Amino acid sequence: MSVPQAPSRSPMKTDQLFVNLGPQHPSTHGVLRVGLTIEGELIVKAEPDIGYLHRGTEKLCEIRTYPQCIVLSDRWDYCSAMTNNLAYCLAVERLLGVRAPERADALRVVHCELNRIASHLILVGTYGIDIGAFTPFLYAFREREMILDLFEMSSGARLTYNYIRLGGVMRDVTKEFAEKTREFLAYFKPRIDEYDELLSYNPIFLDRTKGVGALSAKRAVEWGLSGPNLRASGVAYDVRKWEPQCGYEKYPFKIVLGKNGDCFDRYHCRVREMREAVKIIEAALDGLPEGPVMAKVPKVVKPAPGEAYAHVEGARGDLGIYAVSDGTACPYRLHVRAPSFVNLAILQELFVGQKLADAIAILGSFDIVLGEVDR
Amino acid sequence: MGIVLDAFADACEVLPGGSGILTTTDALINWSRKSSIWPVTFGLACCAIEMMAAYATRFDFDRFGIIPRPSPRQADLMIVAGTVAKKMADPIVQIYRQMPEPRFVISMGSCSNCGGPYYDSYAVLKGVDKIIPVDVYVAGCPPRPESLYFAVMKLQEKIFEMKWKATRGAARQQAAGSRDLGAAA
Amino acid sequence: MSIEEVIARLFSKFPASEKSAAPVKDYATIQLRSREDLLPVLSLLKEQGFAYLDMLSAVDWKGPVLMEGYVREMNPNALQPGGAAARPAPAPAPGFAYRDEMTAVYLLSNLPDRLKVFLKVDFPRSDAVLPSAVGLFKSADWQEREAYDLFGIAFEGHPNLKKILTAQFLEGHPLRKDYAHVRDRFDA
Repeated sequence: MSVPQAPSRSPMKTDQLFVNLGPQHPSTHGVLRVGLTIEGELIVKAEPDIGYLHRGTEKLCEIRTYPQCIVLSDRWDYCSAMTNNLAYCLAVERLLGVRAPERADALRVVHCELNRIASHLILVGTYGIDIGAFTPFLYAFREREMILDLFEMSSGARLTYNYIRLGGVMRDVTKEFAEKTREFLAYFKPRIDEYDELLSYNPIFLDRTKGVGALSAKRAVEWGLSGPNLRASGVAYDVRKWEPQCGYEKYPFKIVLGKNGDCFDRYHCRVREMREAVKIIEAALDGLPEGPVMAKVPKVVKPAPGEAYAHVEGARGDLGIYAVSDGTACPYRLHVRAPSFVNLAILQELFVGQKLADAIAILGSFDIVLGEVDR
Repeated sequence: MGIVLDAFADACEVLPGGSGILTTTDALINWSRKSSIWPVTFGLACCAIEMMAAYATRFDFDRFGIIPRPSPRQADLMIVAGTVAKKMADPIVQIYRQMPEPRFVISMGSCSNCGGPYYDSYAVLKGVDKIIPVDVYVAGCPPRPESLYFAVMKLQEKIFEMKWKATRGAARQQAAGSRDLGAAA
Repeated sequence: MSIEEVIARLFSKFPASEKSAAPVKDYATIQLRSREDLLPVLSLLKEQGFAYLDMLSAVDWKGPVLMEGYVREMNPNALQPGGAAARPAPAPAPGFAYRDEMTAVYLLSNLPDRLKVFLKVDFPRSDAVLPSAVGLFKSADWQEREAYDLFGIAFEGHPNLKKILTAQFLEGHPLRKDYAHVRDRFDA
């Protein structure tokens, strides 16, 4: 099973050209390089080359203390930093044997789901740009700025929050936060229909995404895909339903599935997931319990020797953290099971036989973030 | 035409009232340069998302005349937004070399200023100024879009101080580069 | 099917395996006796519906990490006469059993039945070779390349075992505990 190659289709023998897609490219969503061997418009061989953003965080985490690693965790999937914080904190809390109080859990859910909406808005905007539509980008970021205002209210930062901490959350939210969030949700619900009108039912968009890059469920599971990429192929695997943590079992929401596993399904699953996220946030805010937001965690965090694994449904898929402790103040080993890293591997097979423009559509629909891929 | 323009500054010095022509020319050229800075789309990591937010609806970069260009051949500014991994260092230098003069670099975020939170990593370049010259540094992790605006405004001030006498047009710029922004006029 | 049934079936076929002494908290963890058991166990589990390879990683048990693996320039601190103090190397935890071995950790999921199981297999650091699981799970492709790049584990049978994350000029395997960083042209 070497890197697959498509057979030449036409009787005329043309030259093959080797073209670099990236690492600087407006549509690769970061520093991804794909070495494409093309025959005309057809891709014959694709070799993704990653590592252009490899920062060595897994090694750095072995010398940072447990709370310091939360800062590094923000920067894996920087489009939805709250879920990274949550996955890391859940893993270390399992090592410590600590459970966050209920109010902290509910706040964690609110912030993670708001971040999921913000991250999917980035996808709607940038996928539109990839396909050629610039306007949805401006609309999506208009809504996203409102979410970032809410995050600024609670955590103080716009992108890398360091809000979810070991044992709970950094600080409580004010009443104003809950009011503003409800205002935002009331404003946002009709906007999702607006995105559907603007982009999803646009005939050019449909032509470019329907039927392109179709993945069967079996193939998706084989390649270890997760998140909307897997659910678009019809596999109902959502960590929030599989292993609910932080009280997700209390909130009513559906798993959004697609039928064909093509680019349109992957994109539209994310749009519909935004609707489900809105429902979760409303339920969480309605049932927000009173109480402390931080459990009793020692000042110097030194978990007993052991290993723990925690995974959450990040915006891009199943984000898992495998943490090993040897009893000191720094993690002994921290492995990040990054969804984008595992999702990206399938491209070496999926690109083959596609046209160049379709390859861009497929790459965009996978919604990768290179911070996660390269860590 | 190139020879005429190169000799333009010397000719103006000799003429009576020539320095007035030079300063007016300087002002006109610098005004047009600073009002239409076209950056190459060069987001590396998290700072790129804040850079995109700076382009987007709330903080509209277009009102500065800033339009992102995908190709470095058509750009005059490179905003290095994000961590510079050592693997990425050679492509960055290549892209910088592909930009035509006068070209400027804004280092956005602490990772490209000095390595940032990855200051002791085996795989991170401790600051993009180790490989390319930087004009403005923006602190932050990531810097707010307003900080990026301030950096662009500082760059505009810097551009406004450029002097024709010092840079002397295309031939001299190609030889010496446009780092000499009017200080040694 | 419950996880106990799966484990019981596994133990009946591979009696040398056992429940891990250091399990991953809240998950069923199986310690395989040797690396020869790895592929047969993986295919047995795949037949029972564990078709989803979640995670493939490794742990190096040699000891606390060496400071030579990091690029720490002395920080000129004007407020302290001697500059900033160097960070001391992490001390070994008393009572922790460091050993000259590595462990490969596999996480398999059975999506229809909602089961997860961890597999662990030990091997010596000086002979870091494992059979490749790419034939069974395609998601092992890049994860094995990452383990090769960062730990130096050679996976036999992998079709494309090349560096994936680190730069070409980086020598050594960074996540090993005794990795000493060789200064390259960017560390001047």
